[in-house]
Amino acid sequence: MSVGDAFVYLLIGLGAASLLVACAGLVLARDFFDRLHFSAPATLGTILIVAALWAREGPSLIGWKGVATAAIVIVGSPLVTHALARAARIAERGDWRAGEDETVERAR
Amino acid sequence: MNEWYWLTCALLAGIAACGWVILRRGFLDGIVALQLAGVLASLGVLSFAEAVDRPPFGDLAIVLALVSVVGSLILARFVERVPGGPGGRGGDDRR
Repeated sequence: MSVGDAFVYLLIGLGAASLLVACAGLVLARDFFDRLHFSAPATLGTILIVAALWAREGPSLIGWKGVATAAIVIVGSPLVTHALARAARIAERGDWRAGEDETVERAR
Repeated sequence: MNEWYWLTCALLAGIAACGWVILRRGFLDGIVALQLAGVLASLGVLSFAEAVDRPPFGDLAIVLALVSVVGSLILARFVERVPGGPGGRGGDDRR
C-alpha cells in the first residue's frame, strides 16, 4: 500500500465517520433544533469524501463531478438549515425575532 | 469489494438511520432527516460511480444534491404553517 492509498483510506474513513456521527446525532438528539446542528458534520464528511475522490482520481470527469456535488452541499446545507430553523421559529412564535419574554445575551 | 463499495454500504446504513427518524419522529424532525438523507444519497451515488468505474453516474449525484436542497427549501415554506411549530403538532409526539 502506497502513501497515496493510505491518504485516500484516511480521508474516506474520516469522511464516513463524520457522516455516521451526523446520523447518530440525528437519531439521539432531543428535539428539532438540536437535530438541525448535525448537518454540519455531514458537510464536513462531504468535503472529506470528495477530497478522497480527488486524491484518487485527480482532475478527471468523476473528480469534477464530485467537486460540483460538494459545492452544492456546502452552499445548500447551511442555507436549508437556516431556512428550516427560521420557519420553525415562525411557526412556534409567529416571528423569528426574540420576543419580549426572551432575553438575548449580547457578546461583549 | 474495494473501499468505495464499503463507503457506499456505510452511507446506506446512514440513510436507514434517517429513515428511522422519518418514520418514528415528528414531521419537522423528518424534514431534517430528509435533508441529511439527501446528502448521504448523493454521496452514495458518487461513491458507487467510483466503485463501479462509471463516471457518468456522477451526474445523478449532482442532480440529487440539487433537487434535495431545492426540495428542502420548498418544504421549509410549509414548516411555517405547522401549528405550534416544533413544540406543537410538528414536534415529536410519537416518542
